[in-house]
Amino acid sequence: MGAAVSRWSQNLVLILLGGATVWISAFTTSYLNYVKAGFQPFLVAAGAIVIVLGVAGLVRPAAHEHAPRVAWLMTLPVFAIVLIAPPALGSFAAERSQRPPEPPQNANYAPLSASGPTIMKIGEFMGRAFGDEPEQLNGKVVKLTGFVTKAKKKDQWHLTRMSIACCAADGYALHAAIVGAPAPKLDSWVEVTGTWVPPKWKRMPNGFVVPELAASEVRAIETPAEPYE
Amino acid sequence: MSHPGNDTSATVPRAAAWADDGEIPPPAWGRRDRRRIPLPWAFLLVVAALIVGKPLLSPYLTGPALQTWATIFVAICVQALPFLVFGVTLSAAIAAFVPASFWTRALPKRPAVAVPVASMAGAVLPGCECASVPVASGLMSRGVAPSAALAFLLAAPAINPVVMVATAVAFPNEPMMVVARFVASLVVAVLAGWIWLRFGRTDWIRVPKHAHAESKFTAFLAAMRHDLLHAGGFLVVGGMAAATLNVVVPREWLDSVAGIPWLAVLTLALLAVLLSICSEADAFVAASMGGFSPTAKLAFLVVGPMVDLKLIALQIGTFGKAFALRFVPLTFTLAVLVSALMGWVLL
Repeated sequence: MGAAVSRWSQNLVLILLGGATVWISAFTTSYLNYVKAGFQPFLVAAGAIVIVLGVAGLVRPAAHEHAPRVAWLMTLPVFAIVLIAPPALGSFAAERSQRPPEPPQNANYAPLSASGPTIMKIGEFMGRAFGDEPEQLNGKVVKLTGFVTKAKKKDQWHLTRMSIACCAADGYALHAAIVGAPAPKLDSWVEVTGTWVPPKWKRMPNGFVVPELAASEVRAIETPAEPYE
Repeated sequence: MSHPGNDTSATVPRAAAWADDGEIPPPAWGRRDRRRIPLPWAFLLVVAALIVGKPLLSPYLTGPALQTWATIFVAICVQALPFLVFGVTLSAAIAAFVPASFWTRALPKRPAVAVPVASMAGAVLPGCECASVPVASGLMSRGVAPSAALAFLLAAPAINPVVMVATAVAFPNEPMMVVARFVASLVVAVLAGWIWLRFGRTDWIRVPKHAHAESKFTAFLAAMRHDLLHAGGFLVVGGMAAATLNVVVPREWLDSVAGIPWLAVLTLALLAVLLSICSEADAFVAASMGGFSPTAKLAFLVVGPMVDLKLIALQIGTFGKAFALRFVPLTFTLAVLVSALMGWVLL
């Protein structure tokens, strides 16, 4: 290859990149490991446009066709997707994640049913526990889903879910501390049924605080297609 | 008309036709031109590496740090691709279909007036920073004054309606954050445009030439492909850098500096540069930084859309090194000073 990427190569690189994008967004759910579900149509469209652009370049070439060598770097995401198949962010990212945002102060949560477990996101559990009316959680059975991470305190482990605002690069971890059940394997996905443990402090301490859940049942589950909250 | 539209044999290096590309990639990367082999050997090597690497290497590429790095790297590339495609489409369409006379009529003649007008235009056009670089380059190649195009480049990703809405959602209890972000970003864009107008030299910017003697549609596709390959390659560089920093820098370092006001502002400003988050997403990240002051968060929001690793890479790829070397420090300094001032006045 010369100083520039040949016409054939640059168009084939485009087709490869567009193909990988369409593959992860239209034919598999792995795009959900990287971006939010609502982003799918944009990914499919962008991938398709890139493919069309590459095909058009092969079929109807323009007079001057060259690209700088830096264009080869566009194959790197394809290498990452094919060779590493990057999974959803797990305990490694959760441990490095910054503190979660302040719990919503004025979120309007629906009243909890007295019978049967209420399926709840970890973010909602944190919001209720640290919100204005934590007593609503008293004695109510809730069911949370997440993966297993280590806790700093003894005799407990964390049920964790990463939350993303836009893409995995801005992900931060939401935690619930699970007490009364042995810790499953690190990073394994589980569904925990249990009741909220009211904290012993009166005013929320500064720093990293995690609401506690006394587990009555811990069930192993498959990794969900949509791994983020 | 120097190169006929049907000459596609691609056996002679066309250094003359694309003299503007001489600086990019940098000389160190350039190899002497050889006669090109008609078969895309390099591409076949890539495909072979993918096919062979899958069964041979994949079982070993499972370390959690490597996987997290790859997830963040792919996420940045995947998230930016649609915006990049939108941006290069818009820019190529401007280059191919909008006559140069339109811009000279639409923008005020005097560059000093065109700078604020172009900045305000950024408030109307949604698009993230990856898109605005090729759009600005398209504007320049259509005869818009570089200072005005640069003001647009800075303003568009920072103050467009999508970003303002995202900021309002991210800071539900601090409406002044939205106002401060808008005003500070606009002020930085106008100041940077004016300073460039006064002190900038034309030979610092490599203005891409899109106009060629071909059918409009073929020229449109060629410009789009050229921009996409250029900007996309550099986006990958930025994505790798951001992923590396995300995985390598310990969070505790960040927490310990939040307590010192000036250091907090400077730290979040630098963090915005390093993390390279899309301007449509950065408000959520800023809002999640518990210990930091509102002014520091504002600096994060003003600097991020104007200066970050991904943008620097895109700007080098589009306008050349000589440009980025001067423009990046100028914008960064302005953005930090203006946000500190705005934070002090408004927040």
